[in-house]
Amino acid sequence: MKLCMSLILLVFVLFVVSLLVGPAELRVEDSIAGLFAGGSEAAAIIMREIRLPRALLGLAIGMSLGLSGAVLQGFLRNPLAEPGVIGVSSMAALGAVLVFYSGLAGSSLYALPAGALIGALLAILVLLAIAARQGSTLTLILAGVALSSLAGALTALVLNLSPNPFASYEIIFWLLGSLKDRSMEHVALALPLMAAGWFLIALSARAIDALSLGEEAASSLGISMSLTRFLIVAGVALCVGAATAVTGTIGFIGLVIPHLIRPLTNRMPSSLLLPAGLGGAALLLAADIAARIVLPAGELNVGVLTALIGAPFFLWLVVRARREML
Amino acid sequence: MPKRRKCLPCLSGLALLAGALLVAPVSAAPKRVMSLNLCTDQLAMTLAGPDQLVSVSFLAREPGLSMLHEEARSYPANHGLAEEVFLENPDLVVTGTYSLHNTTALLKRLGFHVEEFSFAQTLETIPGEVRRMGALIGQEKRAQAIADDFTRELETIAAGQCGKDPTMIAYDQNGIASGRGTLADSVMQAAGFANLAADMGVIGVAPFPLEQVIAAHPDVISIGAPQKAPTLGEFVTRHPAIGALPDTRIGAFVPEASLSCGIPSVIEAVRALAALRTEIAPCHGNAAQ
Repeated sequence: MKLCMSLILLVFVLFVVSLLVGPAELRVEDSIAGLFAGGSEAAAIIMREIRLPRALLGLAIGMSLGLSGAVLQGFLRNPLAEPGVIGVSSMAALGAVLVFYSGLAGSSLYALPAGALIGALLAILVLLAIAARQGSTLTLILAGVALSSLAGALTALVLNLSPNPFASYEIIFWLLGSLKDRSMEHVALALPLMAAGWFLIALSARAIDALSLGEEAASSLGISMSLTRFLIVAGVALCVGAATAVTGTIGFIGLVIPHLIRPLTNRMPSSLLLPAGLGGAALLLAADIAARIVLPAGELNVGVLTALIGAPFFLWLVVRARREML
Repeated sequence: MPKRRKCLPCLSGLALLAGALLVAPVSAAPKRVMSLNLCTDQLAMTLAGPDQLVSVSFLAREPGLSMLHEEARSYPANHGLAEEVFLENPDLVVTGTYSLHNTTALLKRLGFHVEEFSFAQTLETIPGEVRRMGALIGQEKRAQAIADDFTRELETIAAGQCGKDPTMIAYDQNGIASGRGTLADSVMQAAGFANLAADMGVIGVAPFPLEQVIAAHPDVISIGAPQKAPTLGEFVTRHPAIGALPDTRIGAFVPEASLSCGIPSVIEAVRALAALRTEIAPCHGNAAQ
C-alpha cells in the first residue's frame, strides 16, 4: 500500500510537470489558468488541446505497458517477457500501418486501433503456440526476435509502397514511438480500449498467483487455464494494441518496471500488477518530459529514450539469467 | 616552377572550350532535349517548341507535385536513369543540382551536354531561370516575353496592397513550416503577407512546434490539401488545436503543387494569396493611396 501511495504521488508530480513543459514556454500561472479557467485564449488551447492529451496518453500508455509486462512475466514465468521484446508491439504497429496506409478505411483514425489490435492479438497467439508450452525462456525470446524483425521490415515496406511520398518519413514514428502532437481524439480512441485491457488483466490476478505454483497445482485450485489465457491474451492485446496505435512502438517499459518494482513487493505476481502499472506510467511520463527537454530545437522520439534505458537493462538481465543457470 | 608553366596552355585550352560550350546553344538550338528533374521538366515544357522535348521525368505527371501534370502526359516519361539518356542520345540534358548527383556525373563523363538548375528557387530567381532555359534550348524570345509578363504581374500585385501585412504560416505535414529562403516565403511576401516562420527565424523548411503556431496566433494558416493516400503527418495540420483558434483562416489557399518548383506558373499561387489578402484587408477608398 505504501509503495502504491508513493508511486501515485510520483505519477501525479510527473503528470503536472509534463503539463508544464513545452516549446511555447508558458508561465506556470498562465498554464494553470489556461487549463482550468479561461486565461488567455492561446494558453487555454495549448493546455487543453495539446498538453493535456499528451500527458493523459503518457500516463495511460505507460500504465498499459507496465501492466502488460508484469502480467506476461507472471503468466509465462519468463523474466524477459515484455510486449516490445517478444514482438507484440511491432506486430501491433504493422497491423495499424497495413490498415491505415492502404486507405482501406479512408483516412480515418479509427483504422489505427482496429489494425493494431488484430496485429497484437495475432502476435500473442503465435507466441503462445510456439513458446508457452515448454516454458523455455530462450524459445519465447527467439520467437519474439523473429516476429519483431519481420514486422519491422514489413512496416518499412508498406510505408515505402504508399503512393504518398510523406508516408516513408513515418517509419521512424512506428519503430520509435512518439507522443508529439497527439490530440483528445487519440485519447478518446485509445483510453476506453486500454481501460478494458486493464480490467481483463486485473481479473486474471488470482490465476497468475496460482500459476506461479505450476499449471497442475493451479488447476487443482480451481483455476481455469483457458479462461486465464483468454483474459491475459485479450487484456494484453487491448493494452498494447491501443497504445501502439496512437504512439507507435515504445519498447522496454514493460521489461524494466516489473524488475525494478518486484523487490519492493511480496513477490506474488498479482501484487506486482498495480505498482508495475503505476511505475510504467511514471517512466513514460518522465521519458516524454526528457524527450522534450534534451534537444533545444525539435524533440526526440520517446522510444529512443526508453530503448536507451531498456536495452542495457535487458542485457544485464540476460547476463544474470545465464549466471543463475550455470 | 615548371609544373605551373606547363599548365598554362591547358588552362587556356579549358577556357576556350568553356567559351565554345557557352556559345554553342545560342548558335545551334538543340533539337532533342531531355529533362530529368521535376522543376526543369516544367520549365522546359513551358518553353520548348513542338517535338523539341524528348521526355520528362515521371514525377511531372504527379498532380500533387507538378502544376503541368496534364501537359506532361503528352510526353514520354523517364525515371532519371543514365541508361535511358544513353538510349535516347539527346543533344541536351537538363536536370537539378539537388537530384541524381551520380547520374549527372556519369552523363558528363560519357560526354553528354548536361545543364543543372539550382534547387534554391524563389520568385526572384524565376525570370533568370526562365531566360537561362530559353537560351539553352534556343527559345530566347518566348522566354523573355514570359519573364517580362511574370515580373510585370508581380509589380501589379504589389501595387494593389494597402495597410499592415496580415501574418501567415505555411504549415505542412508533420508540423513543417517554410521559412526564409523558400519559394513559399517569397510567394507570401509578394502577396502581401508577413511570414510568421521567417519572422521567428526559421531558415528553409524546418519543423515548427504546434504550440508556437497557437501562441503566435497567425491570421492565416495555409495547409496542404488532403492527399488520396493517407499519412499521420496530415493529422498535425488538422489538429483540433488549430481548429480552435478564433478568427484564423485555415485552408489550402494555394493551388495544388504550386509551391514545389520555381516556374512561371507560380504566379497562380501569388494571385490566390493576393486575393485572400484583399478579402482580409480590403483597401477602403483613400486607404489605397
